[in-house]
Amino acid sequence: MKTRYFAFFASVLLTIGLRAENEVYRTWTDSQGRKLEATFRGIEDGQVFLQIRNGYVYRLPLDKLSAADQEAARTLKPQGLGIPADPNLAQAAARIDMLVDAGLAKAGQKPNPLASDEQFVRRVYLDIAGRIPTREEALEFITDTSVSKRAKVIDKLLNSEGYRSHLFNYFADMLRVADVAQKARFYTYQDWLKGQIAENTPWDKLVFTMMTADGKLLDNGATGYLLRDAGMRLDNLSLTLSTFLGANVSCAQCHDHPFADWTQRQFYEMAAFFGATETYGTRGSKGYGMQNMRRVLASIDDRRIQQQAKNILRVNAMAVEDGSENDLKLPDDYKYPDGKPGDLVKPKLVTWADDKTKKAYQGVQTKNEEDLRTQFAKWMTSPDNPRFAMTIANRLWKRAFGVGIKEPVTDLDDPNASVNPALLHHLATEMVRLKFDMKQFMRLLYNTQAYQREATSHELADGGPYLFPGPVLRRMSAEQAWDSCATLVVGAEVDKFHAHRGQTYAEVMKIDFGEGATKESIVADIEKAARGMRQYGGTKGAAKNKKKRPMQPLISGGDDSIEVAPPVRNGLVLARASELPQPEKDQHFLRMFGQSDRQIADSSSDEGSIPQVLMLMNGEAQRVIGQNDSLVIQTATAQKSPEQQVESLYLSFFSRKPKPDELADAVAALGSGLTMRDLSWVLFNTREFVFVE
Amino acid sequence: MKLENQLDSLSRRSFCEKWAKASLGVTVLHGLGGRAFAADGPGFGKAKNVIFLQMIGGMSHIDTLDPKDGPTQGPKAPIKTKADLQLGGTMENLAKQADKISIIRSMTSKTGVHASGQYLIRSGYEQRGTIQHPNIGAWAQHFKGASHKTLPSSVCVNRQPNAGNGFFPASYSPLPILDPDAGLQYSRSDVSDEVMRKRLAMLDKLDAGFRERFQTAGVKSYTEFYEKTVSIMSSTDLEAFRLDAEPDALKEKYGRNKFGQGCLLARRLVEKGIRYIEVASGGWDMHNNIEEGLEEKGTELDVALAALLEDLQSRGLLETTLVVLCSEFGRGPKINGNAGRDHHPRVFSTMLAGGGVKGGFVYGSSDKEGFSVADKQVSVQDFLSTIGWSLGLPVDEVVMSPTNRPFTVGDKGRPVMDVFA
Repeated sequence: MKTRYFAFFASVLLTIGLRAENEVYRTWTDSQGRKLEATFRGIEDGQVFLQIRNGYVYRLPLDKLSAADQEAARTLKPQGLGIPADPNLAQAAARIDMLVDAGLAKAGQKPNPLASDEQFVRRVYLDIAGRIPTREEALEFITDTSVSKRAKVIDKLLNSEGYRSHLFNYFADMLRVADVAQKARFYTYQDWLKGQIAENTPWDKLVFTMMTADGKLLDNGATGYLLRDAGMRLDNLSLTLSTFLGANVSCAQCHDHPFADWTQRQFYEMAAFFGATETYGTRGSKGYGMQNMRRVLASIDDRRIQQQAKNILRVNAMAVEDGSENDLKLPDDYKYPDGKPGDLVKPKLVTWADDKTKKAYQGVQTKNEEDLRTQFAKWMTSPDNPRFAMTIANRLWKRAFGVGIKEPVTDLDDPNASVNPALLHHLATEMVRLKFDMKQFMRLLYNTQAYQREATSHELADGGPYLFPGPVLRRMSAEQAWDSCATLVVGAEVDKFHAHRGQTYAEVMKIDFGEGATKESIVADIEKAARGMRQYGGTKGAAKNKKKRPMQPLISGGDDSIEVAPPVRNGLVLARASELPQPEKDQHFLRMFGQSDRQIADSSSDEGSIPQVLMLMNGEAQRVIGQNDSLVIQTATAQKSPEQQVESLYLSFFSRKPKPDELADAVAALGSGLTMRDLSWVLFNTREFVFVE
Repeated sequence: MKLENQLDSLSRRSFCEKWAKASLGVTVLHGLGGRAFAADGPGFGKAKNVIFLQMIGGMSHIDTLDPKDGPTQGPKAPIKTKADLQLGGTMENLAKQADKISIIRSMTSKTGVHASGQYLIRSGYEQRGTIQHPNIGAWAQHFKGASHKTLPSSVCVNRQPNAGNGFFPASYSPLPILDPDAGLQYSRSDVSDEVMRKRLAMLDKLDAGFRERFQTAGVKSYTEFYEKTVSIMSSTDLEAFRLDAEPDALKEKYGRNKFGQGCLLARRLVEKGIRYIEVASGGWDMHNNIEEGLEEKGTELDVALAALLEDLQSRGLLETTLVVLCSEFGRGPKINGNAGRDHHPRVFSTMLAGGGVKGGFVYGSSDKEGFSVADKQVSVQDFLSTIGWSLGLPVDEVVMSPTNRPFTVGDKGRPVMDVFA
């Protein structure tokens, strides 16, 4: 593995020669006369950081350098990003930069200049922690004189609550995480997913768990993935293949793909791996099938309880279990010569055209059909699967840079049709090398020069591929915008509230049908659940009625946990989007700003609309931000001079100080009838606020 | 073909917009299904506007548009109308306008679930987790461009837009009016006009540097949305959404309820040049006590629809406005144990009026009980193609989505030509 890796890079080095053309290399000599050609990355605590051409960063004590070089280290301006967190990371980041730069050079393009501290701090907070920094957080970074501050803030944010919240939002959109699906509440699934993110479970393991999860939704949140599409295994598979493997198969569900290689038969052969899996409670023998529910229901004489019981039992019937045989058949309208409608389909894994040299893990054939799902999951999440690592790597790249190396991210059928195939293949290799550790992978991307450059400010000539001279300028996601609004009003406190609805919900709803259960105990359970259900406003979706209390926060109650409720202003619950109803109700800021309705995978929107702009101009959010009890207003008002007040607002909204003309204009406005609230309205409604540089 | 590799802007949606523009000239495949409709057939393009009335919950065909005698008859006996057709007993007012309507009594679908049925009858496609399908308003905007220079081309009343733009740009999504009496949400500022003017002037000043530096499509499009929004807020266009201007007597005539006022709003919007208006009416899922349900919802529909047809005609708008009445499915012939009717997609009815459609006409039929299609089956796809045809859309033209999948108006349905005069 390793030798091939380096051979690959040798060839890249040959083509481009230098790590980056615009960097200055000089020859450094230590006190023993040993020489090193390297760029100067900075000096901290008596250590000098030097980066050689392959990207590796050496750390040398200052007093070990020759006298002339000691002088140089004290006077030279550091190159690039400052001191990295560790030499291996710097080297890995430099390799990515080499590939990006090679792609740019080939097209005769230049990379963007490095982003300023102000641009960087706002971007890195939004990208990693999902919200803008508070005025204090921004100032802390900007005024920090240490040369290692960029690497440090990346690591700090990767370990913050905000990171978890923000990554959850990404997966919630991708996996269509909704509070209500199939008339049941999927809180346990959400809590499970949040837990996996908090523990930084490797991606392969996380996906494997979802594919192979068994049992009741109430007991095992990981079943939520399959149960989201209970009874619709073909739809579910179509999403699985496109989401996790970038296989563009959705056409093949109904007919041979007109352009790509996929046939309908192949699709059904893949679906056969789920052919023994029951998600609809109609078969199954382990005691939580729908039939068992009906039996219990029939045994209850009280009609009133029967009605209540129906919903509760349905929730208890949400379960995944494997039967003993695969019953997947070709559809009634199957029209190809290789099969007849109604033919049983045997499971068979697909291969890709470019998969000839490196055969994907093909699994161990087993006679026991209960293991079909496991076989599929092993094959899919294997490091040798030619698409699994690449798909998540391309997705996470898009998360950092705003656009994938291959678009759309759900179609990686031909990686060589991407804008930079070498980079795409390399990222897939890196994902495997990092053992699918998403946090380490994101850390790597954030530490590249490519990421830390200025956002691209011009529109490319029509039809030109985007080769990553820097990240693209992005509009905040709905969640970033909402969480940033909440940050303006309540500050960093906004990260503190967590909704853990799953455990409470499961405790309330779970009915025990075990050996010891009697008719009386079951009825008692049902009555208890019916009482509990009222907390959730019936079985329908998120609180429909505006006049109802905005949300009943359910806090998981460890004995020593303190109950905290999020602040509510003008009817807005100021908690992170990840802790609010999934998805929010239609007229909520989040939805109007493009939060996915969680019906379609990856369907959040970053487009404007008239209703959205009306909301930004006249809705609740601008009012709550501009009120006297809002932190941004309080902080600004506390400043002495109008100049300082304006500066405070600018730092809060944009993480930068105003330019002289902006300062003059804003101060003049404050003197001629506009209030602090008006000024906050203005800054909130700028493009600069909603776009991420 | 590999346009997605040339993605030069940030988002999939904005990418869509480019695609949509390109597909007007380049990626449209003609006659993939091997058939074509003559674009000068009867009724083609007669409608300039569509008012799409969607009854949410499953409107009982037997009690409204396809009345039956005998054991399946509902709480009220069928009534005679101005035309040679009968209507359900609740439809007293519509009976007087029956000379303006065509009823299709042989609709059928396989979907007995509300959400997917509603999705199907709005878009012509089955709901999937991988793509959103456009409503007819978005299709019309794709083929014919915007219908108004500042206002959106589609509006939806008493309902959410639910991404009605489908895979087309978000700006094709209908503008939601959740309460017809209140008008456009957030359209009034909470500060005085003078303060708002000052704010806007400051906004223009303080944001100028950023707009100058980042001349990307995304930033420009936001600036345009702000310009449009401000112009709507300060222009007379907003009047289109304000029912205050309508005389009280007319408001009464449409019925003082959300659906009635929604129909009145739809007429106002047609006058203002908005092409596609959806008006929803909830509460049609009458599993229990259908008599009470019809008394309320049926009467609301009857009063509002009759008023709408009469009003449109008296203003000379009916010829160019197609009024559509539909629901996700019908309700079964059997009255259940709770004195209601259950879901019934096997046969149900829809209605068309105006826009070149025949008056006093019935197409197709259900059997004696209203259980199955007896004659001239019409699919949901055919039904939507008929609407598209009336609007003058090329219903056989294949348009590729950004994900490179082929779609047509009404999913290859065949327009029901017989309903056109």
